[in-house]
Amino acid sequence: MRQVIRAWACLAVTALLAGGMASAQSQAPSVGHNEVLIRNGTILTVTHGTIKNGSVYIKDGKIAAVGANVTAPPSAKVIDATGKFVMPGIIDAHSHIALRDDINEATSPVTPHMMMLDAFDYTDRNIYYTLAGGVTTSLLLHGSANMVGGQSIVIKHKYGLGRDQLLFPSAPRSIKFASGENPKRVYGSRQQLPSTRMGNFAVQRQALAEAQDYMREWEQYDAKVKGGDKDAKPPKRDLKLEALADLMRGKMFVHNHCYRADEFLTEIAMAKEFGYTLRSFEHALEAYKVADQIAAAGIGISTFADWWGYKEEAWDAIPWNAVIAMRHGVNVAIKSDSDDFARRLNQEAAKTIRYGGATEDEALKMVTLNAAWNVGVQDRVGSLDVGKDADITIWNAHPLSIYALVDMVLIDGDVFFDRSLPGLGTPYYKEGQ
Amino acid sequence: MKRALGLALALMVATGSAAGQKSAKPAAAPGAIVLRGGRILTVSHGVIENGAVVMENGKITAVGAAGSVAVPKGAQIVDVRGMTVYPGLIDSESRLGLTEISAEQMTNDYIEPSDEIFPHLHVWEAFHAESQLIPVTRVNGITNAIVAAGETDTLPGQSSFIQLEGQSAKDMLLVRDIALPLNFTGEQRRNDSWEKAKFPFTRMGVAAQLRQAFIDARDYQRKWADYEKKKSEPPQEEKKDDKKDEKKGPPTPPKRDLKLEALVPYLDGKKPIVLAAEEPGDIETALELAKEFNLRVILNHVEHANKLLDMIAASKLPVIIGPIYARPKEGERYDSVYRMPAELQKRGVKLAFASYDAHQSRNLPYAAGYAVAFGLPYDEALKAITLNAAEIWGLGDQLGSLDVGKTANVVVATGDPLDPKTDVKQVYIQGRAVSMETRQTRLRDQYMK
Repeated sequence: MRQVIRAWACLAVTALLAGGMASAQSQAPSVGHNEVLIRNGTILTVTHGTIKNGSVYIKDGKIAAVGANVTAPPSAKVIDATGKFVMPGIIDAHSHIALRDDINEATSPVTPHMMMLDAFDYTDRNIYYTLAGGVTTSLLLHGSANMVGGQSIVIKHKYGLGRDQLLFPSAPRSIKFASGENPKRVYGSRQQLPSTRMGNFAVQRQALAEAQDYMREWEQYDAKVKGGDKDAKPPKRDLKLEALADLMRGKMFVHNHCYRADEFLTEIAMAKEFGYTLRSFEHALEAYKVADQIAAAGIGISTFADWWGYKEEAWDAIPWNAVIAMRHGVNVAIKSDSDDFARRLNQEAAKTIRYGGATEDEALKMVTLNAAWNVGVQDRVGSLDVGKDADITIWNAHPLSIYALVDMVLIDGDVFFDRSLPGLGTPYYKEGQ
Repeated sequence: MKRALGLALALMVATGSAAGQKSAKPAAAPGAIVLRGGRILTVSHGVIENGAVVMENGKITAVGAAGSVAVPKGAQIVDVRGMTVYPGLIDSESRLGLTEISAEQMTNDYIEPSDEIFPHLHVWEAFHAESQLIPVTRVNGITNAIVAAGETDTLPGQSSFIQLEGQSAKDMLLVRDIALPLNFTGEQRRNDSWEKAKFPFTRMGVAAQLRQAFIDARDYQRKWADYEKKKSEPPQEEKKDDKKDEKKGPPTPPKRDLKLEALVPYLDGKKPIVLAAEEPGDIETALELAKEFNLRVILNHVEHANKLLDMIAASKLPVIIGPIYARPKEGERYDSVYRMPAELQKRGVKLAFASYDAHQSRNLPYAAGYAVAFGLPYDEALKAITLNAAEIWGLGDQLGSLDVGKTANVVVATGDPLDPKTDVKQVYIQGRAVSMETRQTRLRDQYMK
């Protein structure tokens, strides 16, 4: 019995690889229909209200029109959304799927030269499961073992296509930082630095200071070259310091894993001291205690709806956190950090209505536009607005209902999941082919 | 001196239990409360729009249309118009009271890792009544739960059935040893590495170890039965050719063995085994084993049993299904596990849901709700966290529906209990309005200003 299963599993894997390679070789992007009309649905634009009996017209992968009276050429493929709900694709602003468990290079607390792309498994089934839950974009982050982790990638869930076709084109570069218990636990258990929060911040500051020196060396060298010094010797390249230098040059920003109120403030001060951009606090379960300061610093949070108590620094977590922070002006996203919850982020968003009284639009924004902002792709995705990528989900009921199922997912105007199809429901991925 | 102290203690215990009994008497019970004007989900006999529920002395004394229910003298009338009223929810497997902060090992009491066979462990002896997790769970309408040990031991200890409210563990532990989990999911193998390898390294080992335990328990049972029999027999006449003097005295009792002793009620079918398996092969192996020893079985998990749906239905065994959030098997459609409750119910299987958690136990109703999205009829989903659960645990006459004579565990909420947007306004346990304050609401109130 087991042997049979294993043999079958091997076949499936082989097929998967073959399929992936084939699509990678056929370089040309997949284009089903370059014109699509989603008609007569309830359109949840997220930015400009709900349109009953509305339509979305898609041309060349972009949203070309949204409204109650949208016209499209007869050549457009029509998707009838009568009785259905149409919303932007869900964006998971904190995920570790598709990395083959290579999430933490937990051998040194400073590893900014780790590239998540090097571990990316574009055939991971979790890309499919979450796609079927309405997710079109995910931010794949390094783990939180290190104060300074690795560099993220942003993917679109085009399950069945080749690796590079899943990468979000020109998404901003970002790096994961982490503070608090995790680095302490990982290195403390080995009797190494850092074992305390003092240690954590010292390690972080030391790395940034070294990178400042490195940056200066290169600036001096560049100045020499510019001044015509032909004998100028370039400094030795150091991938670690180069990554942090890029951070301080403004070429990247930081997603900072952080739980405790005091640590948000320390991290904000550290970013100011070294002149880099903190884009978002990850988890941020105590954001409600210092929401004004986080808002004033212009930093978003990517948080859980109601997770708590799994460790000491999560003990003060409350499910009202997201809405309290939002009311203080913080850009709040609800994220998964889980291959399970990523499949039903709409339900997690719905909890913010109950805990704190978010409006439906506010709740939806937390898994779409706000999440897009935290990832840095808010001009491209996250709402149904003209000019944005046609990353769209169609639901059989209001997506904030527990009874809602995803009927269809379009990414760049192309259907990547259709519940009505037999098998997996994935037009670009065929089991066993 | 020592004796006096002992006596004093005995007295204290005696008065203590007397006081305990007293508090359960009608005299100390809360006054009558009438919830009037709400949408009543009785679970057992449909929905009553604009209905009323009367609670007296900890019990439900009337359920019906708001106009037709008699209001007892002096009753407190609570206007619940616009609200939905339903029985307290039951979580069929939790770790409530066995953990506080997951990553802090000193706050965890749910698994004994040194061995696999621990039928003589009782979770009620570790149950922490003051856990902050209990009020957090309770205010979402969960009034009762199974507290079970972790699943990485084959027989991890006996489960308790609790009520999520009480002055002490004594009040909360409604049934101390209600069932024994038997876990056969592969997780019980000690095969983490070659270096740390120990028996049982394989499923064969797990099964053999389990079989041996039940055989030993049967022998043990027989030894004690023989002893009891001998003890009750009248002393025999001395036989003339009997040379051994020691045979004349009373029989010596066998040496007590707590492990084997604990298995006896389960061998006798007096209490159920909660048989956890996920894969088809494991389910069949474990069921055969249970049959071999005539165990009374409640099935648990079975989330990958797509190939055994009819077999499970034919067994007539009740099933705690889930977690429905388990990831599908390689090659399966995304909804293959989400659909399991509907597939089993369609075939007549009695279902219950469980959180399998402590911090997230409050989210139990949403698993039921999501199963509805994948085809489980709504009424059946609600039953699976109320009446079915009560019946499976042998408490169907006391809990699980809004019926006269049952314990007054009642929830008042803003709407559908299965939808996360619904806010729970008030929970009643044994006819008392319980505090809706938790550690979390206190922090909220402190910072929400």
